[in-house]
Amino acid sequence: MFEEPIRRRGLFSLTPLIDVVFQLLLFFMLTTTFMQAQMLTVTTPAASDGGLPQDANVVEIWLMADGSTRVAEKPVTPESLGDALKAVLGGRIDLTVSIFAEKGSRTQAFVSAIEAARQAGVKNVATARVDKFKP
Amino acid sequence: MIEFDEPRRRPPYETMVPLINVVFLLIIFFILVGTMGPTQEVKVDLPAGQIDDKNSRQPALIYMEKDGFVWFGKNMAPPELADMMVKNYLKEQGTDRVAISADLNAPADSLLTLMEALRKAGVKEVTLQTTQAQ
Repeated sequence: MFEEPIRRRGLFSLTPLIDVVFQLLLFFMLTTTFMQAQMLTVTTPAASDGGLPQDANVVEIWLMADGSTRVAEKPVTPESLGDALKAVLGGRIDLTVSIFAEKGSRTQAFVSAIEAARQAGVKNVATARVDKFKP
Repeated sequence: MIEFDEPRRRPPYETMVPLINVVFLLIIFFILVGTMGPTQEVKVDLPAGQIDDKNSRQPALIYMEKDGFVWFGKNMAPPELADMMVKNYLKEQGTDRVAISADLNAPADSLLTLMEALRKAGVKEVTLQTTQAQ
C-alpha cells in the first residue's frame, strides 16, 4: 500500500498575530478621545466687589442664583440672551458689558453670557461676583 | 507513462489576508484621528459654547469640579484658598498661560474667585474650556 503523504503545516500560524492586532485595535478604540475642547478667552477680574464701572455706558447682565439671567434688569431665557443683549446695545459695541454672577449661579450661564457679549461684538466685558442682588 | 494531474496547492490562510488589511487600516485610522492627551484625573462636564480661541502654546490646566473645588495638578483646594496655590503651580508649570476646565454646574462665583486669584498672580487672561454647542 501507499504511505500517506505527510501533511506539512504552513510556515507559521497567523492566529497570534491576529490576536495581537485585535488587542491593538481595542486599545486604540478605547483610549482615543474624539472630543476636542474649545477655548474661550476671558479677562480675569480684579479682586474687589462693586469695583465695576456703573454708568450709562454699561449694560449689565445678571446671573441669578435660581439659574435665570437678566439683561438690563429684564429677565431673559437662555435662548434669547444674545438677541436681548443686541437689542439693548443697539449696535453700540463701544459699550461695556458687565456680567455679575450672584452666589449660586452656574458656570454654564457665565460662559453663555460671555459668549453672548462677544458675539454681539462688544470689546469690553467685565466680570464680577456679588453675594445678593438688591433690585 | 501515465501522468497524474498534480493537486492544486492552495495557499494556506488566504482568506485571512483581507481581514488583517482591514484591521490594520482601522488601527491606523484610530492612531491618526484620535488624540490621546493627558488622562483627565478630575471628572468635569464642560459647559457648551461656540467660540474657539485655541492657541498652540500649552497652558497650565486648572480643573474646577461641580462643587467648586479647584485642582492644581495633584493638589486640591477650595476656591477661597486658590491664591495661595496659584503662584506655586504656575512656577511649577513654567507658564503664565492658564486654561480652566470648569464643570458646567460649578458655582460661577467660585470660578470668579479663582480668576481673581489668577489676576493677583499676574495672569491677565485665562481661557475657559468649553465643548462644541449643538
